[in-house]
Amino acid sequence: MNASKLIVAAAAMSMSAATLAAGAHGGGHGASSGEPGKASEASRTITVEMYDNYYEPEEISVKPGETVRFVVENKGNLVHEFNVGTPDMHEAHQEEMMMMVEHGVIQGGKLNQDMMNMDMGNGKTMKHDDPNSVLLEPGQSKEVIWKFSDKGNIEFACNVPGHYQAGMYGDVNFE
Amino acid sequence: MKTRLLTGLLSLLMPAMVMAGEYDLTVDRVKIDTGDFVKEGIGYNGASPGPVMRFKEGENVKINVTNNLDEMTSIHWHGLILPFDQDGVPGISFPGIKPGETFTYEFPIQQAGTYWFHSHSGFQEPDGAYGSIVIEPEGREPFRYDREYVVQLTDKHPHSGDRIMRNLKMMPDYYNREQQTVGEFFSDVSKNGLMNTVSDRMAWGGMRMMKADVEDIHGFTGLINGKGPSQNWTGIFEPGERIRLRFINSSAMTYFDIRIPGLDMTVVQADGNNVQPVSVDEFRIGVAETYDVIVRPKDEQAYTIFAESMGRSGYARATLAPEEGMEAAVPQLREPARLTMADMSGMAGMDHGSMAGMDHGDMNMSSSEGMGGMDHSSMEGMDHSNMKGMDHSNMEGMDHSGMSGMDHGSMAMGKKGGPSDPFYAKGSGLVPTAANGGKFLSYADLKAQDPLYELREPTREIELRLTGNMERYTWSINGVKYEDADPIRLKYGERVRFKFVNETMMTHPMHLHGMWSILDVGAGQWNPIKHTISVNPGTTVYMETEVDEPGQWAFHCHLSYHAAAGMFRKVIVEGGPESAQAKTDVLVEDGGEV
Repeated sequence: MNASKLIVAAAAMSMSAATLAAGAHGGGHGASSGEPGKASEASRTITVEMYDNYYEPEEISVKPGETVRFVVENKGNLVHEFNVGTPDMHEAHQEEMMMMVEHGVIQGGKLNQDMMNMDMGNGKTMKHDDPNSVLLEPGQSKEVIWKFSDKGNIEFACNVPGHYQAGMYGDVNFE
Repeated sequence: MKTRLLTGLLSLLMPAMVMAGEYDLTVDRVKIDTGDFVKEGIGYNGASPGPVMRFKEGENVKINVTNNLDEMTSIHWHGLILPFDQDGVPGISFPGIKPGETFTYEFPIQQAGTYWFHSHSGFQEPDGAYGSIVIEPEGREPFRYDREYVVQLTDKHPHSGDRIMRNLKMMPDYYNREQQTVGEFFSDVSKNGLMNTVSDRMAWGGMRMMKADVEDIHGFTGLINGKGPSQNWTGIFEPGERIRLRFINSSAMTYFDIRIPGLDMTVVQADGNNVQPVSVDEFRIGVAETYDVIVRPKDEQAYTIFAESMGRSGYARATLAPEEGMEAAVPQLREPARLTMADMSGMAGMDHGSMAGMDHGDMNMSSSEGMGGMDHSSMEGMDHSNMKGMDHSNMEGMDHSGMSGMDHGSMAMGKKGGPSDPFYAKGSGLVPTAANGGKFLSYADLKAQDPLYELREPTREIELRLTGNMERYTWSINGVKYEDADPIRLKYGERVRFKFVNETMMTHPMHLHGMWSILDVGAGQWNPIKHTISVNPGTTVYMETEVDEPGQWAFHCHLSYHAAAGMFRKVIVEGGPESAQAKTDVLVEDGGEV
């Protein structure tokens, strides 16, 4: 990794909160993926199983504005992510995830919690706590409640280095 | 009752019947046109390379091979796990296929992935007798792609294999155009001083090696799928598609550094076995290795697949494009790498005392011992030397003390400013770097996606010193060439740890037939399994083998002229199922020459 890539990664990391805020405004420019949803508003539950390295199912259909409760289960042997976003958001997030691997936060089938909570300066950590995503060790299961915005180019994706590129993503189709 | 039984039997038989494929291959004299020259060679079904053989995991294949040559031939299914008498090595697995004869191979397909096949007789393989194998898995692939291409490389030389071997035996530097010149001597003198230069040259002479011996054989044309650079093999895509490229290096002697300017490549498979995906800008493919990568060209433009030989004496080139006829810029060859004193640190009989500044302590970084549970392998790609532009001032809060167990001292961080890789000698002149300054794949990046074997302690260790005398063009293992050597005897059911110590100046791709080579990258259970392990000069590399196939097998350096010169062993697996043992006895009695 060269210097400029790292700087981008560092910038992306400090930006992730801002990106989410923008998403919450639901701009409708095709660049937003929606916003965190309330459990009480969820119209249905979709179970997404994560394997090494693919999802089941690999596409889902939602209505614009629908709130979905995702139950995400990691049935593989490696750490995987479930992240709702646009391809651009995923690409930016992949830089952060690369940093997490390089710092030993993600080690094959394990997450190093101590490292995640480590203060990187300015109060930044490598915690993975954005509401549009979960990062799971093998065997773990967590929920994401997400309110989709208007139609857009939305994918759910695993941004652990290499996984998205190898095809670990799913399409969100709007009905 | 009877009918039911019959139907039951039939339905039991049906899957087997459906899954039995029959294939025909002829071995023929063919014309090979590289764009630079036309020569006569050997091919399959009338062409070189031969066809892509497509199998399905779980299938029983029957392959009829008809020898249309006026000499003996054979086909070895490189990387396939099969009964030893189907492995196709004359004198070890079977007597070979006589002129005019048809030999029928029959074996079950027990694996998936990208492999290849080639003649194991004389120099038929360098003369063109090779093809590719693609095996579709029983279940789904653990990755996604919209289309796929085999990208099979070779180093086609205008001379026949026999002639090259004769010339090498007579004059080992016959094909080496990169030798240092008198002019270079004087420029080194002005840079380094006379005494340093003279002692450097004397050290090299004492090793019976020439400093530029990164490659033995220059003067070839690199081919991709049988096409030379001017003929430009082209794979078509639609922008946005994911393309799986199945790279196979079927060269006689040449390692290639492969890149596709403008595209990241995500490596998903090595030697037919899935690895945890790793995105790289460039990778080195050893002779006989395979790497599958996924690329995703998003733009409506052509991209060049550029494969430079490790010694920069030649290249292969192909194109990915939305339409036939489009092409992208073809990069210039980079400066050749030069071996350093570090690369020859493995040479026996050298005065190591004069090699001040060399630290042998770190040489065994590939070994899992001494790695203190830390996963160094994921950090090797980090080149901290390039981080000067980064502003650390914001990172005051970063508490490195929490990073317990991390020993920065032993990390391959390029402390001396040069690139480093634990699979190259420290200070090596051979360590590859990506042309765009990005990520270059290391063996240390390879982790099994789904380990085939449980991790367990090896039952014993066998040391194999890779030895040779470049000035006489003899190549050997533990100083003994094949015809003078006893076979290596393994016991069915054991797990053997092989220690390769490369005491030569050349890189050797070591290929064990019939059983997997578990490459020790320090990742324990996640160590990848391969069929060919590249061992760089001055390094020690470990691999382990679960001895789970009875019979007798070949084990050799896959550089054609090194194998022929004696860097070759027969491996005998003792014990195992009785039937296999009986077959071995018969074969040993028949025993022909390899």
